[in-house]
Amino acid sequence: MDADANRSLITAALARIPAGDRTALQTVYRLTSAKLFGVCLRILNERSEAEDVLQDVYVTIWRKAGDFDASRGSPMTWLIAIARNRAIDRLRATRVARRMEPIDAAAEVPDGGSAADGLLEMSQDEARLHGCLDTLAAQEKAALRGAFFDGNTYEELATRMSVPLGTMKSWIRRAMFKLKSCLER
Amino acid sequence: MSDTTDHNGLSGDDLLAAEVALGVLADAERADAVARIARDRVFARLVAQWEERLAPWAGQIQPIVPPPAVWDRIAATLPAERTQTTGFLQSLAFWRGLTLATGTLAAACLAALIYLNLATPGSTLVAGLDGGGHRHFVATVDVARGSIAVVPAAFSADATRVPELWLIPADGKPRPLGLLRADSTVVITIPAALSGLTTGQATLAVSLEPPGGSPTGQPTGPVVAAGKLTSL
Repeated sequence: MDADANRSLITAALARIPAGDRTALQTVYRLTSAKLFGVCLRILNERSEAEDVLQDVYVTIWRKAGDFDASRGSPMTWLIAIARNRAIDRLRATRVARRMEPIDAAAEVPDGGSAADGLLEMSQDEARLHGCLDTLAAQEKAALRGAFFDGNTYEELATRMSVPLGTMKSWIRRAMFKLKSCLER
Repeated sequence: MSDTTDHNGLSGDDLLAAEVALGVLADAERADAVARIARDRVFARLVAQWEERLAPWAGQIQPIVPPPAVWDRIAATLPAERTQTTGFLQSLAFWRGLTLATGTLAAACLAALIYLNLATPGSTLVAGLDGGGHRHFVATVDVARGSIAVVPAAFSADATRVPELWLIPADGKPRPLGLLRADSTVVITIPAALSGLTTGQATLAVSLEPPGGSPTGQPTGPVVAAGKLTSL
């Protein structure tokens, strides 16, 4: 199934959920649960917690599908944001072991390369994002990576990279500004 | 609401939105910012824009199929399906609900048996047709009558393709049985040439095909569900 067909199937199914169509939710689940489970598991690093959060994610999708505006963004972006937010909330609320091993910015490699999941519509956007991430300083990109994939806070990132909190904040802020400028170019 | 620009160039609100989307804020700060999303549409839009910028990074995360029990738990929390039709379709919704709620082959088979009014042990084969961690159809073979009843459990139709049922006997070669429907039970008469092959050694599979079915007599689209026949 190609990416556009997949995207429109997800969008169409999301649109049927507010009417109480359980089959529509199941369609969304069938098309997206492996991706969203990967996201939850990456952040939580613990299967049973990730399964709990995944359940919570789809119950949230069931309740909030009416908020999704297909004219403003991609359904996968909306779904991934819900999964990341729920996983981060769980990470903060529990004492699940966080990823806290030291980050070595010098060991960062360019992300570039191929998307792990050919089913999603992201290949083009993904290439553009990676192009911009690769313009960041190594430590800035390493810090963003720890936040995005491991769900670390400013403080946790400062610890992992052995820098003062203020330094970490300015790295991330500068990195986000550069990223936005690059993506708008 | 501040709209100051800090020395790095992001406005105060845009920076906060970036921090929320990235997830770097700690407990109280994060809770405050998340609460603001609900009451401030402009801020919510800034957060959504940052999510849009960052989401493609998730392309690097390997998809992992969750265990089927997760869907069963989700389904159990949903309200019962609204039923707008009566009679046959109502009982179909009942089956669907039953299958979703229990996730067990036994319950779906029981429902199928009630529908078919069969009770002769030894003359019935069943298969749950699963794919991607879900049960899509339940098939019940009435050996004496030479027919297969296929009940949709939770199959969602694709706008452009139709589900086609295949018999795969011990020799591994798929034989076409007929087209299925996502919204109603289909009863297929087993061709005489295949009746001897429809045994507990065989598997049933469902592929997605162009309207009208596979033009070649072999599956041309993806196989989305399959299951082995077993004696009831």
